[in-house]
Amino acid sequence: MSHEVERISFHDEIQRNKLKSFFLIVVIFAFFILLGYLISQILDSSYFFIILIFATIFSLLYVVISYYNSDKIALASVNAHPADPTEHRMLFHAVESMSLASGLPMPRVYVMNSEQINAFASGRDPEHAVICFTTGALSKLNKQELEGVVAHEMSHIANYDIRFMTLTAVLVGMVSIVAQMFLRNLWITGERREGKGNIILIIIAIFAAILAPIAAQLVSLAISRKREFTADATGVKFTRYPMGLKNALIKIRDEHVPEKDKHRYPKAVAPLFIGDPYKKKFQNLFSTHPPIEARIKILERM
Amino acid sequence: MVVLLTWIIIGILVLLVLIFIYYFNKFVVLGNRIDNSLSQIDVQLTKRADLVPNLISTVKGYAKHERKIMTEVTEARKALLSAKNLPEKMKAGAELQNALKSIFAIAENYPQLRANENFLHLQQELAAIEDKIAFSRQFYNDSILAYNNSVQTFPGAFFAKIYTKQKKEFLQIPTEAKAVPKVEF
Repeated sequence: MSHEVERISFHDEIQRNKLKSFFLIVVIFAFFILLGYLISQILDSSYFFIILIFATIFSLLYVVISYYNSDKIALASVNAHPADPTEHRMLFHAVESMSLASGLPMPRVYVMNSEQINAFASGRDPEHAVICFTTGALSKLNKQELEGVVAHEMSHIANYDIRFMTLTAVLVGMVSIVAQMFLRNLWITGERREGKGNIILIIIAIFAAILAPIAAQLVSLAISRKREFTADATGVKFTRYPMGLKNALIKIRDEHVPEKDKHRYPKAVAPLFIGDPYKKKFQNLFSTHPPIEARIKILERM
Repeated sequence: MVVLLTWIIIGILVLLVLIFIYYFNKFVVLGNRIDNSLSQIDVQLTKRADLVPNLISTVKGYAKHERKIMTEVTEARKALLSAKNLPEKMKAGAELQNALKSIFAIAENYPQLRANENFLHLQQELAAIEDKIAFSRQFYNDSILAYNNSVQTFPGAFFAKIYTKQKKEFLQIPTEAKAVPKVEF
């Protein structure tokens, strides 16, 4: 036990991370507005904006449809099957307990075959939520650790993280669309533009159009990491036992997984999992998950 | 000029009405959450009480002579099922919990009972229910906290007065539950 380290409360952690992720979303939105403004200073064609609106509507439609079916899509992509109340009794007890502790309705419980310790939650809202555990998790974790992971997953449901990350993805997508269309338009009508906006502004706008989507994506990954921290802290609020999740994370960290098992996870679903399924050696700005060490350290201080 | 002023005043009035509605609804939602969490505690307590007859008949098969403890459990169960308000239920629930602890302590003396599959199953179920009772109590207290916060912080406190909402009491663990049960041989 570390007595010299200052104790933090999970209430504060939840607040802090929710605030940060909100602030980051505002940043993405600002990118969008800025880019739009720069472009409007340069381009004149109103047809450009009409096409832009159509493109945005279509991508929104796509995102909304996949959001509404997020539970089915996630489960199908990993070949999950419904959990059995008798065979997976410990899991069901943990989920029932966490439903009571959180006040959420019980999500549908699924199991997927994989040696790796992992789990994810999906679904557009608590009434349509699903959680899924790997067979590896069920065999390698003890009662408290399993409860901790269940609590973390249900925190994602409670904090409406799927909705939040979908919203973020929409914003990032919109920034990309605007940037792309602008660059495409520039390329096509290069010779015909006259006098609207000076050359410096055009250069700035080009840079912005190239960098904005990348920057927006980085911000969105930062948001994803903050939501992971929030889910850890909210999980503690449910179990009131940080050691459970902490020990589970330690087991995940120290696990050795054969290479072939890593390719079971489709890329799109990877961010939903509690542990990075690809077990990348280096944590950096492109990671959807915060470094496991940092998560363990924070749980130790609760 | 007068027209603009009129629109501004109308706007402010609409805003005020919305704020009044917001706080009214907030108190309703938080209050309902408390009621719901209370009924959840009830569900778990009843589940526990429902397992008792099965447990008693299993134990009787091996430990006929432990009349005292079995009577205690049956009495505690009756008290729980007939309890009407929250304090009574908490007290009865704590007594049942103690009585059950005694039964499992005594079962240590009867290896055949301990090996009985039904007994083991019941033991596991009851242990799981204890956990769930604890979590539903935790959520009840969390709901009370959220409600109290909304009623006591500014500006909620102002609206709370208007709607005559007061802060509520947290659930106390009855002192009997904290005491270690005495096992008579």
